[in-house]
Amino acid sequence: MTIAGIIEPLVLGFSTGTWCVMYCAPVLLPFLTAREGLNQKRNIQLIGLFLGGRLFAYVLLGLCLGAAGLLVMEFFDPVLARRISYVAYIFCGIVLLLSGFRRHICNSGKKCFSVVKAASGDPMTALFSGICVGFHICPPFWTAAVRSAAIGNPLAGSIYFLLFYAGTLPFFLPLLGIPFFNNRFPGFRKIAHMTQVLIGAYFLIFAGLIPFIFRR
Amino acid sequence: MAVKIFFSLCMSAVVYFFIVAGKSSPAEWIYAGFLMVLFVQMIRTGDFSKYRRIFQFTFAFLFAISFIGILYDERGSMAIAEDSIQNSEIPFCHITIPLTMLPYFITKTVIFPARIIGHFASVISMLLIWFIVTITIGRGWCSWVCFYGGWEDGVSRLSKKTRFRLLSYNKDIRAFQFAFLFFIILVSFAFLSSVYCEWFCPFKIVTEFSQITDIPGLIATVMFIGLFLGLVIVMPFLTRKRFQCVSFCPFGAFQSFADRLSSFRISIDTDKCSGCMKCASSCPFCAIDKDTITGKKGRPEITCAKCGECIAVCPEKAISYQFSFVRKGCSGPEAESKTGEIIQMFLEPGTLFLFSAFTFSVIISSKFGPDALMRIFSIFTGGL
Repeated sequence: MTIAGIIEPLVLGFSTGTWCVMYCAPVLLPFLTAREGLNQKRNIQLIGLFLGGRLFAYVLLGLCLGAAGLLVMEFFDPVLARRISYVAYIFCGIVLLLSGFRRHICNSGKKCFSVVKAASGDPMTALFSGICVGFHICPPFWTAAVRSAAIGNPLAGSIYFLLFYAGTLPFFLPLLGIPFFNNRFPGFRKIAHMTQVLIGAYFLIFAGLIPFIFRR
Repeated sequence: MAVKIFFSLCMSAVVYFFIVAGKSSPAEWIYAGFLMVLFVQMIRTGDFSKYRRIFQFTFAFLFAISFIGILYDERGSMAIAEDSIQNSEIPFCHITIPLTMLPYFITKTVIFPARIIGHFASVISMLLIWFIVTITIGRGWCSWVCFYGGWEDGVSRLSKKTRFRLLSYNKDIRAFQFAFLFFIILVSFAFLSSVYCEWFCPFKIVTEFSQITDIPGLIATVMFIGLFLGLVIVMPFLTRKRFQCVSFCPFGAFQSFADRLSSFRISIDTDKCSGCMKCASSCPFCAIDKDTITGKKGRPEITCAKCGECIAVCPEKAISYQFSFVRKGCSGPEAESKTGEIIQMFLEPGTLFLFSAFTFSVIISSKFGPDALMRIFSIFTGGL
């Protein structure tokens, strides 16, 4: 791999990181702010799991696109990309809603499915929502996808995505301030929790199901 | 008396300058007369709230007639044409101010398809109006200037008694409004589009709406009608509160934060207060709780829109308008001379607030009020 081959995806990620913030902020900000007793260690763990989920999605896509090579251009069109995004929003919405209503579902003394209980825990919510956000096809992602497909090698394709991903990471540094914010404004937790549920419902219905069913 | 006459004369000059000057139709004179009657009654009786409600409901009604009329003149329909969106010719609505800020600061994109400059409803015009109103009356915008809030003000008074009491839910309602604000800001930022206008605006039915060309458009229209009926008609009727303004309006929540810049606030004299809770029951913005009174906070909660309802019902006269820069518990010094007494009378915060707030009411309604009256007259005289 050449120096240019390393720098290009890093710079692509760094220069388009605001897009990642745009898609990740609605998921991460309310989710982290709504956590009870969030200290710095827990905050870093949850951000790490979210980013890990996103990394998993990127590497998986990089492997697939790299393996398919330029053949991918035959079927990986904007319509398919949009449909992948809709599905990602549907799952992300479900994950956020399950996490948002976890207390009502599982702690109210009613019967709670163990799968729901496990899947709606904080670590799983962070991980799954990270995977869902990773599958959201945004313009810089699209560019990275085309470039990795042009490489025509699964390993090189996934490394391209890995470096693209690394370039976007600095934009997540401000999230380290959330525990300080939570300590200063404890009353905000309830508002953040409601925001998380509203965003979950929006992702599921308006950004996921409605366009998936009624639009191309 | 001299103070009342002085401010009435000043207001008549404002009304003349913004409504009548340079125009000659009877609609302008009628509307100017109507505004002057309201102002004089407010300042004469000291009962701001009753006449403010009359103004706001009339303004909301006239605004809808005028706005819809203008749309029919320009487009022949209330439906937003694709051309208008492409050419950024949609009038910029103040409710979208909070959702357009974050995308603009980060991506330099104005997500609302309005003109930036060169029109009374352009982005810059509305931002300028918003800023001036905010540093003066703050969230008083919602109860004195907003051309939507009057619908709820009117409907909430149709019922003689409160059928559903919200007092114990005040905190949750306020929390939901702020949650809705952050939700709208974040998703508008994520999708770089005005999500509130696309799905959640309850006032499409009295302004403009997207053409129904597909199933999502139909779903959005059903939502707009449902939200208008539920939040603007049914809930205000049952609760006698401005339910949409206090639970769902992102601009209202945003304005609660921006209110820190304003020059006026409502002050509760905790020594005079007897804890009767009449203010809490009458507050249309759910801004007074039991805790506000028992905790002797000395001021309403953050969502107070300075409508004056609490001042009107307080039997102890413990609630009043105050300058924001006056610290809690402080009162002005006693005047030591006759001149000082007169100056204090002229600088009384309540009167200055009323004058400022009503001036903005006059300016904002100066185009729509007479225009709507002209359209109503023309219906009776055989044209549209």
